[in-house]
Amino acid sequence: MTHKLKATVRSALATVGLVAGFAAAASAHHSFAPFDMGTQKVIAGTVKAVEWTNPHIWVWLDVPNEQGGVDAWGFEGMSPNFLGRRGWTRTSIKPGDKIAVTYRPLRDGKKGGMFVSTKAPDGRLLSMQGGQNPEP
Amino acid sequence: MNRTTLMFAAALAVGAPAGGPIVVAQSFTPKPPTAADWAALARLPDFNGVWEIGLGGGGGRAGAPPPAAGGAATGAGRAGAGAGAGRGRGGGAAAGPALTPDYAAKRKALQDAAREDNETANCLPQGMPGIMGQPYPMEFLLTPGQVTIVIEAYQQVRHIYTDGRPLPADPDPKFHGSSVGRWEGDTLVVETIGFSPLTQLAPNTPHSGKMRIAERFRLADPDTMTIETTITDPEALTAPFVSSRTLRRHRDWTLAEYICEENNRNSVDQNGKAGINLAVPGGSPKK
Repeated sequence: MTHKLKATVRSALATVGLVAGFAAAASAHHSFAPFDMGTQKVIAGTVKAVEWTNPHIWVWLDVPNEQGGVDAWGFEGMSPNFLGRRGWTRTSIKPGDKIAVTYRPLRDGKKGGMFVSTKAPDGRLLSMQGGQNPEP
Repeated sequence: MNRTTLMFAAALAVGAPAGGPIVVAQSFTPKPPTAADWAALARLPDFNGVWEIGLGGGGGRAGAPPPAAGGAATGAGRAGAGAGAGRGRGGGAAAGPALTPDYAAKRKALQDAAREDNETANCLPQGMPGIMGQPYPMEFLLTPGQVTIVIEAYQQVRHIYTDGRPLPADPDPKFHGSSVGRWEGDTLVVETIGFSPLTQLAPNTPHSGKMRIAERFRLADPDTMTIETTITDPEALTAPFVSSRTLRRHRDWTLAEYICEENNRNSVDQNGKAGINLAVPGGSPKK
């Protein structure tokens, strides 16, 4: 694990105390049934697309696979409305950005999960609790 | 009864089928607002603007602690895995609703069904009372004879008539019911009846056709609003179900668009199974 990845994980852990508030907001539209809420993983790749849409944003990552190709992974975040009032913009993460996403995996093992946080290319933590916050 | 109303009643009578029920026109006729009516708004408490239940957020407050969990006051069934997660935002009830045996059994049946999600995952709004507890802002608009609440979540709207009209005698069931309001000093008192059976009194808790919701809105300080909500239902409840929540005004916010169908990748099927659509935008990458 690179230093950068470790830092991302540390940041993610620092936000655990905020998960309850995040959960309250996220559950407005749907339940957490598809996600393993007790697990956090980190995966690195290149941003393929960002859907800055209601009711949730989706961040799509091209992740290198063992066959030498790439797999598309999808991560569901909060709504653009919620995030837009908390420091995010539709270009906080852009196609082509190389990022590591901390996420809660899908229970069915498919390639995706609930977006928890990432570190933006400029080094700031982008979390679903809100804010482009300096590294805590 | 003025002339307009009489003509209305006459038109209805003519249109009624022979032998059909006699339709009685509502005796209330709204009047066009006068300059004095507009001026009188300035003497009402300043409710106008954008409010949100206490979530934290807004620039530097991202680190604010989450609101304390309260009772199950956030309404429409949050089934399955989400059931424990979203309660009592910005306030809540001290305890859950006191149900009659009949409705306790209905709730248990819904709980036992253990649906993974509810219809909001398919973009069906909660309706009342759940829509008032969403983690999205609401805008209050005061005009003569009406308070309008524009709710960002699911882009919903409530119309509360404050022009003195009575509640309808036999309203069609609606997601937000039918509401009238009056001012008791600085408190807006709203009575609502006539709810769709698709709404819930509390999570996993249906209501009867006799549910009534009374709400008291007032300013606790210039930018803090409290809403005390009292639900009564002679078939479902053995005691009024009282909850309260606190909203903060955000002078620098505007409501945003919320079209749930824009890109809804969540779903729930008729058996309660939750799903996620992982279709990759622009197609899958080359393996």
